[in-house]
Amino acid sequence: MAPGAPVSAAGLRLKGVFKTYDTAGGPLKALAPVDLKIAPGEFVTLVGESGCGKSTLLRLLAGLEKPTGGEMELDGKILSGTDLSRGMVFQEPRLFPWMTTEQNVAFGCASGTAAEEAAQTVRRHLELVGLSGFEKAYPYQLSGGMQQRAAIARALVARPRVLLLDEPFGALDALTRVRMQQEILRIWRAEKMTMLLVTHDIDEALSLGDRVLVMGPRPGAIRQTLPVKLSRPRDRNGAAFAKLRQKIQAEFF
Amino acid sequence: MAPGKKGPIFRPGWTLPLLIPVLLLGFWQTACDRSWFESSYLPSPRAIAGSFSSMLLSGELWGHLKVSLTRVLRGFALGAGAGTLLGFSMGLFPRLEKALSLLTGLLRPIPTIAWVPALILWMGIGESSKVTVIAVGSFWPVLLSALQGVRSVHPHYLEVARVLKKNRWTLLTRVILPSALPSLFTGYRVGMGIAWASVVGAELIAASSGIGYLIMYAREVSQPDVMLVGVAAIGLTGLFIDWLLLRAERKLLAWHRGLP
Repeated sequence: MAPGAPVSAAGLRLKGVFKTYDTAGGPLKALAPVDLKIAPGEFVTLVGESGCGKSTLLRLLAGLEKPTGGEMELDGKILSGTDLSRGMVFQEPRLFPWMTTEQNVAFGCASGTAAEEAAQTVRRHLELVGLSGFEKAYPYQLSGGMQQRAAIARALVARPRVLLLDEPFGALDALTRVRMQQEILRIWRAEKMTMLLVTHDIDEALSLGDRVLVMGPRPGAIRQTLPVKLSRPRDRNGAAFAKLRQKIQAEFF
Repeated sequence: MAPGKKGPIFRPGWTLPLLIPVLLLGFWQTACDRSWFESSYLPSPRAIAGSFSSMLLSGELWGHLKVSLTRVLRGFALGAGAGTLLGFSMGLFPRLEKALSLLTGLLRPIPTIAWVPALILWMGIGESSKVTVIAVGSFWPVLLSALQGVRSVHPHYLEVARVLKKNRWTLLTRVILPSALPSLFTGYRVGMGIAWASVVGAELIAASSGIGYLIMYAREVSQPDVMLVGVAAIGLTGLFIDWLLLRAERKLLAWHRGLP
């Protein structure tokens, strides 16, 4: 595939997916059966407090963990294990400290990609995330925000059809976080892929998602689904935004 | 030095590490000048330095050093190579580690020198028994550090490789190996130190050349200054080798500096 060619976004479908952990104190229900449909190209956000199972749901979708039961489909194809159709951005940048920014991003390229094509893809994605000029820098020489940009680029060069983001901006300072939220929207528009972002920040969920899923704990389950019809960029101080925020807050407080 | 004090007494760098050795040498020299010790028991630093430089100039010292160094390099290459391979294998395959755990636990506490008589019996008095002693000595620390290096690869990094669907070879060469490198280098430094100590031990027992032989021979002919020249040469060479390894580590592991 030529670098820069659009990848068709994929839809996700979950049927009765649940997860139970065996612990010393007996089985622990981490996730109650979830039914969920995400349309191709949709940006869905998942908001909930820590320990509500939202990260578990994302890790199941990534293939990092196996569901105890239920089925997950990507465009009608049943999923098991990891593959390049689903990219993942973790809360920590998880860059390899022994590689430069460029090498870290190139690590995302599918095995067997021709060197020249890989170099071109890497260059394009470093530009997309605003890291041109930092190709030769090591992770410790980058700020937290820049490290996370590199991690996003690494996930993107594999050309996933769905990008899963696990509290990607949770460790960043408030100002950088808002800037990164604007960036991820820009990337979503440019790459036209399906995105599912997990967060504990209600405003973040509301500013980004076409739809906000509200999760509650013990066992983790989706308690509310909230379509957000406001056009982007969204005014966080507007009345409509505040009303949606109130609706979500009512679930928690 | 505490901040705020006026005038630095010690310049950073070489002054502080040199201070105590120089004071000790000064005390030693004074003690010899005032005949606190018998010079046939403890020659003065000046006398030792004189023998050192004349043996260096005549090529005698270098001849012995070269023999010992060659043994060390051959033994270390063998021992560290085997330790790296087996350590990595044990780290990658927990069943192998378990299968070998009792054996390694039993063999590891045996001091290297304890093997010398047995190795001479099996391999004769030639080079191979000495090289093997060194190989055994450097094998253990390298084995342990390689194993520890593989074990301590952060699970976060392994998940990244899983999500990106990397094959085992890529995982090994681009994630596990570089991640284990700092630990491995520590093992190499310790192993080299033990290798250098082992060669002298082996030469003290049975050899007709090398620094250990030089020391033993000097004792037999009652030349305490030559004896101590040998001892000093061991220390200086060991320091130099460690400095070389540290430099190599800094160069190869530049990325590791900025880490906690």
